[in-house]
Amino acid sequence: MIRKEIVLPASPEEVWHALTDPERLADWFANRVELDLRPGGDARFGWDNGEQRRATVTEVKPGERLAFSWEDEGEVEFTLAADVAGTRLTVVETAPAWTTALDLHASALAVV
Amino acid sequence: MPLRSPLSDPLNQVFSALADPSRRHLLGYLADHGTATATEMTGELPMTRQAVAKHLVALSGAGLVESERAGREIRYRLTETGEEWDDRLDALRRHLERHGS
Repeated sequence: MIRKEIVLPASPEEVWHALTDPERLADWFANRVELDLRPGGDARFGWDNGEQRRATVTEVKPGERLAFSWEDEGEVEFTLAADVAGTRLTVVETAPAWTTALDLHASALAVV
Repeated sequence: MPLRSPLSDPLNQVFSALADPSRRHLLGYLADHGTATATEMTGELPMTRQAVAKHLVALSGAGLVESERAGREIRYRLTETGEEWDDRLDALRRHLERHGS
């Protein structure tokens, strides 16, 4: 699991727009963005190096929480909270298939 | 203040995992190849499969590698630290600064 936190110099409402308006996303997240902002909605991101990724929106709570699930792998969750300096934004990305847990290894050791 | 047990100290686990040249070798291999199975690494490195598996357990216990099941085998990679999110959030902060002024 990856967890990152940043305090941004803008209101939660402003940060929400930057996270959900395709034109604004195209200024910081990707180069081309299509986004159907509702649970189950489709998101497509394209980068100038040719990379493309698709995702499905899973949660939309304006000003508070946005979550989507990458088509290839993993879930991303943004949580916004008002802070004296603006907005505290937390990003959590999980890829459930990958783990550092040791139980998998018992079987790895058994397969020779 | 009571001393912490060396085994329960995550930093100690990292240092002891890194102390072994064979384990550093495995980390280097994963850094170059992205992901690999124990079998692939055994074919490429001068170690038995048992040695590779044992070292992967130590690296995994220290949190340095993560694994996923792929059919009958386990694939390994270096544990992701989320550097791309550092870059993205930095870009978001700069975007908001541009937009706000």
